Formats: sequence, C-alpha cells, structure tokens
Amino acid sequence: MVSEMTSKERVLAMLDRKPVDRVPVMTGSAMVKEYIEKSGSSWPDYHCDAEMMVNTVSLMHTDAGLDNIVLPFGMFIESAALGLEVKMGRIDIQPSVRSFFSKPEEVNYDNFLENKYVKTTLEAIKLSKEKYPDAAITAFLVAPITLTGDLMGAENLSMLSIKCLQKEKQMQKMQDWLSKALEINRIYAEACVEAGADILYYSDASASPNLVMPEFYYQVAVPAEKEIGDFVHHLGCPWELHICGDTVPIIEGMASTGADCLSVEQAVNMKEATKIAGDVPIVGNVTPLLMVEGTEEQIIDETRKGLDSGAKGSMLGCGTPPLSTSDRIRTWVKAAADWSAENL
Amino acid sequence: MDDLPEEVQELIEELDEAAEDEDEDTIKELTQKLLETGADVEAITLKKLSILVMDGEEEMTRGWTEVAIQIGIDPFKTLIEGLAAGMSLIGKKYEQGEAFVPQLLIASAAMYSGMDLLAPYMKQDENSNSKPVTVVIGTVEGDVHDIGKSLVKTLLSANGFNCVDLGNDVPASRFIEAAKENKATAISMSTLMTTTMAEMPKVLNLLENEGIRDKLLVMVGGAPITAGYAAQIGANVSPHDAASAATWLKESIVNFPSESVRWD
Ligand code: B12
Ligand SMILES: [Zn+2]
Repeated sequence: MVSEMTSKERVLAMLDRKPVDRVPVMTGSAMVKEYIEKSGSSWPDYHCDAEMMVNTVSLMHTDAGLDNIVLPFGMFIESAALGLEVKMGRIDIQPSVRSFFSKPEEVNYDNFLENKYVKTTLEAIKLSKEKYPDAAITAFLVAPITLTGDLMGAENLSMLSIKCLQKEKQMQKMQDWLSKALEINRIYAEACVEAGADILYYSDASASPNLVMPEFYYQVAVPAEKEIGDFVHHLGCPWELHICGDTVPIIEGMASTGADCLSVEQAVNMKEATKIAGDVPIVGNVTPLLMVEGTEEQIIDETRKGLDSGAKGSMLGCGTPPLSTSDRIRTWVKAAADWSAENL
Repeated sequence: MDDLPEEVQELIEELDEAAEDEDEDTIKELTQKLLETGADVEAITLKKLSILVMDGEEEMTRGWTEVAIQIGIDPFKTLIEGLAAGMSLIGKKYEQGEAFVPQLLIASAAMYSGMDLLAPYMKQDENSNSKPVTVVIGTVEGDVHDIGKSLVKTLLSANGFNCVDLGNDVPASRFIEAAKENKATAISMSTLMTTTMAEMPKVLNLLENEGIRDKLLVMVGGAPITAGYAAQIGANVSPHDAASAATWLKESIVNFPSESVRWD
C-alpha cells in the first residue's frame, strides 16, 4: 500500500510507471457549463480571461476531485493565433476553426505568443500552478497531424494522407505543411513548459483511423509525434497522447512515440490495447455522454471495466462534455477510488 | 480486361499515360486507334471508369471521361455505369471495413471531376419522365463537421439522387424551407457532436408542426447517432454509414408515394 499522494504526485507517478495510492482520474478538455456558471464566468470571456478560466476548470479538481487541471477549453487556440477564422460556439459548444490556408507559405507564426488566447493560456497555467500546487497542471494542445489538418483543412489532410503514400511529390507537400505545424508546436510547447505546466496533453484527433489510414499513421504521424514529444522531454516535461476513434490498429505506433501515457476513447477494446502497448500506460475510456445522462450504475460499471482491463488511469473518452453534471463526475471519481481500494 | 488482345491492352495503357499527363490530343488520337481495333470500346471505357473512380485516380478519370464523350456513350450511362459504379464499389468496401475514409474522399473527388466534364452534355436530356428524387442534406446547427455529410451526399448522388446541400451549421428552419422549396422526398441530417444531437428532434418537431412530416423520409447519422436514437426522436432510420444510407433510401422510395402525390 502506497501512502497517500497529492493529485500531482499521483499523476506523475502513473506517468513514471510507479505505484500509486489510487489510480488517477483525469480529464481532457473541461468546458463544463455547470462549472462555468458556478464560478461566475461568462461566455465567451472565459476563453480569454485567465482568472475566469482557472476559476472554472479548477472546480473539476476542487469540487469533483479530479487529479488534473486542464487548460485551455478547446482546440482552437493555435488556429486563432495564426489568424484563421474561429467561430466562438456557445456556452455549451466549443469554438471551432472555420477557415484554412491554401499554401504552407501563407502560415505566419511570428507573433504567435502575442495572441490573446495564447497569452490567456499561459497566464492561466501560471495562475493555476500558484493556486493549486497539488494538482497536475495540464496544457491541452493540438498535436502535429491535427494542427496540419487545421492549417490545410481536415478534408484536404485526409486526401493528402493517402496520396502522399503513393507519390513522392505529394509526400513533399505533406512534409511542407507538417513542418510548419511542428514549428508552431515547438514554440507553444516551450512557452507552456516555461509557464509551469506539469504535463502537456496532446490531442491528435485527426491522426485517427477515422480520418487517415493506419499506414499513414505509422509512416508520417509517428515520426512527427515523436519529434515534438522528444522536444517536450528535452524541456523536462512529460506528455500524453490522445487519439480519437478505434485506435487498436495504431496503438503499437502510439506506444512507440515515447509518450508517457496514451489516452483512448470508448471505441477501443481496452484489454487489447493494454496488451499491445506493453509497459506504456493507457488511460481511458469511459463514455463521455455518461456524464450527461448516465445512471450511477452505468458510470460505475464502465469505470471499473476500463480499470479491470488494464487502464492505469480513468479518463473520459474525448473530454468532458459541456452538459456534464457535477454529481455524475463525482460518481465517476468515487468509482475509480473504490476500485483502487479493492485492487491496489 | 486481361483477356483482351495484346494490341488493345497496349493502347489502354498508353491511354492511361496520356490521361495521367492530361494530354488531350493524344487521348483523342489513341481513342480513334482503339475504335479501329474493333474492340468493345464502350464496355472497356465504362469498366475503366469504375475502377479509376474506385482507386481515386482523378486525372485518369477525367481522361477516360473524355474518351467516353468522344465515342458518344450516353452521358447518363457513363455516369451511372462508369463513375457512380466506381463510387459504389469503394463504398461497399468501406462498409465491409476494407477501405478507409481517405479512399472514399479521393474516389469522390475523382467521380466529381468526371461529372464536371459530363455536365454540359447532360442538360439537353430533360424530356425523360424519371425525374431524380430530391434529398435535402446538411449538418445541423452548431456543428461544422461536414466530411461525413459530404460523403453521404456523394453516395446519394452516385445512386442517382438529386442532393440539395445546405452545408454545415444549418438552422432547423432551413431544412424545412429547403424541403418545401424543392418538394423533397427525404431529409438527411448529420452531426458528430453529442452537444448538437438535440438539433435533430427540433427539425422533426418543425416538420410535425408544419404538417409535412409524412411527405418526407428522414435519415439521421454521424458518429454519436444510433438506430435507437433515431427511433426515439421519430426519424425513419439511421443507416450506419454513407453507403448504407444510399442503399436504404433506394429501397425505401420504391413504395413511397411519388412527389406529385405528396406535394400537390
Ligand atoms: C476532422 C474533425 C474535425 C474538423 C472538421 C472538418 C470538417 N470540415 O468536417 C475540425 C478540425 C474543423 C473539427 C472541429 C471540431 N471538432 Co472535431 N473532429 C474531427 C475528427 C478528427 C474526424 C471527424 C470526421 O470527419 N470523420 C470522418 C467522417 C467520414 O466520418 P463521419 O462524419 O462520422 O461520417 C460517417 C458516418 O458517421 C456516416 N454519416 C455521417 N452523416 C450521416 C448522415 C446520415 C443520414 C447517415 C445515414 C450516415 C451519416 O457516414 C460517414 C461515412 O460512412 C473527429 C475525431 C475522430 N477521429 O473521429 C473529431 C470530433 C468529431 N470533433 C470533436 C470536437 C469536440 C470538435 C470541436 C468542438 C473542437 C475541439 N475538439 O475542441 C470542433 C467543432 C466545433 C463545432 N462547433 O462544430 C469531437 C466530438 C466529441 C463529441 N462526440 O461530442 C471529436 C469526436 C474529437 C474530439 N474529441 O475532439 N473537427
Ligand atoms: Zn478523442
């Protein structure tokens, strides 16, 4: 039995493959309407006001008992900072990127760190680190393939992802876009680590077999993710890799990127995934919608099922839905704690 | 195609190259030579087109569509038995888990590039009484994901449906207006986010309120949408992917009253 840990110690120990007092319970994006209202934040200000952001997301830790505090709320920061058009959504709908570039040369990131959303994220990291030193402060970032998809349009990425495997010229084109994305990833990663992030959480939603072929994942995405991951490790920070969809065909590749842990969603057979990943910890894979309309029994069942199948931490598939209720989130956290008490 | 005479096979290969290089003069010349061999060039061309679309070969699809035009194949036949047949082939493979989304997308691009060339030849043929069935299609309000929606549209088009594409982030009332304006037979709605699923019942409620629910078939789909959800909100169905959406609609319209009966 390991003596009681702080949330931060617990998450870092899991990433370090060390014993924990109980399995960590973590989230990806956490734009939860109930907490936005409870903390007195207002739409859309909470996207560009560090204090509001921290007041809202920290409730996931202080009120619901999660081990990490995740900022910012959505995957639009990088695109907004590059001057792409962003639609701000609603209090219950995350912002979305509405435009893309037509050539890599158009991408200009000279003033990336001056953007108000980037600045808010960095300030919020600092602030949450000060206020909640015991939580694992996690920066939520767009990983290279997904960022490439934002730069060139997701549909174009999907098409180029197959053409580039067939023709050298197309591969060159792919690499031209990807190198822009990696350059931006590096600038942002460095700033987040400097601001004090304990962990960088990279979502590579568009590297999923739902959108690109597994062959592409292995040939193009793995080296790119590894490149940014190695860079993050050099900065002395651990990182997590999330990919959406049924990732079983690419888990081996994900595990080879050097990520300190892999996050998968409910479409994944956890037993199979943990078997393939070997000693690389996998976290997941509770159905997010259960936080909106699940019964207590369903939430407990799914949480236990993931952990029984070898997950090293409990996480919701693709982030916490905006309409989640705090009582359901607490039920989930308790389910993971109860499981730990029985099994660790 | 393997059992064709060697001379014909060689010409086909040369045509592939000319098409790949978008060399129109050579395409014309080679087409003429191919005709002179006495081979069944129409059958060869249709077969070629279906395979090229299936493989997502955009340039070659365009080149062989030019061949089809030059030898005077009925443009509707070229579309249905060539281009669209190829789209259906890859759709079936996708349905069986043997193909991926990028393959559907490049096949779709290839099909449309051939259709663009055929378009000017298709207009004059308006006398036929088999007016295509209209489907109003879009992604619901609040959601910008439209890759899946566009694939549904592609496969519906490949199966002869006329699609009125409202794009993404479409307010519920737009679906209703467009359905009325176009005397549509079906509405196809997509969403990929759990947060925007609730937009779908809004459209169904509006249809009820306007008293036109029974004039239309309603399909809903997208990753979070299940058959159970479709039933719960009163939609007709949620086929599990774009290819089965087209199959379902084709079967369903057989016994559905015709447009003039429903709307007039
Ligand atoms: C590409 C993508 C994007 C692109 C979309 C580009 C575009 N033009 O569509 C961009 C980058 C813009 C984007 C933005 C966002 N996204 Co997004 N995105 C994806 C991604 C990676 C792939 C989706 C996709 O295109 N799949 C391929 C298509 C072909 O599949 P499909 O749409 O499901 O369609 C198939 C079937 O469902 C069916 N079908 C579809 N429609 C219909 C209709 C009928 C009638 C029928 C029968 C069948 C049918 O047919 C299709 C083929 O068979 C997924 C994650 C993943 N890997 O799945 C996330 C995902 C869908 N996005 C998500 C989110 C949250 C967002 C954002 C809020 C940003 C964010 N992550 O912070 C914004 C959306 C904002 C908004 N208001 O809309 C979540 C949704 C979570 C949820 N369940 O609620 C996902 C799951 C990932 C994630 N966690 O980030 N995204
Ligand atoms: Zn995801």
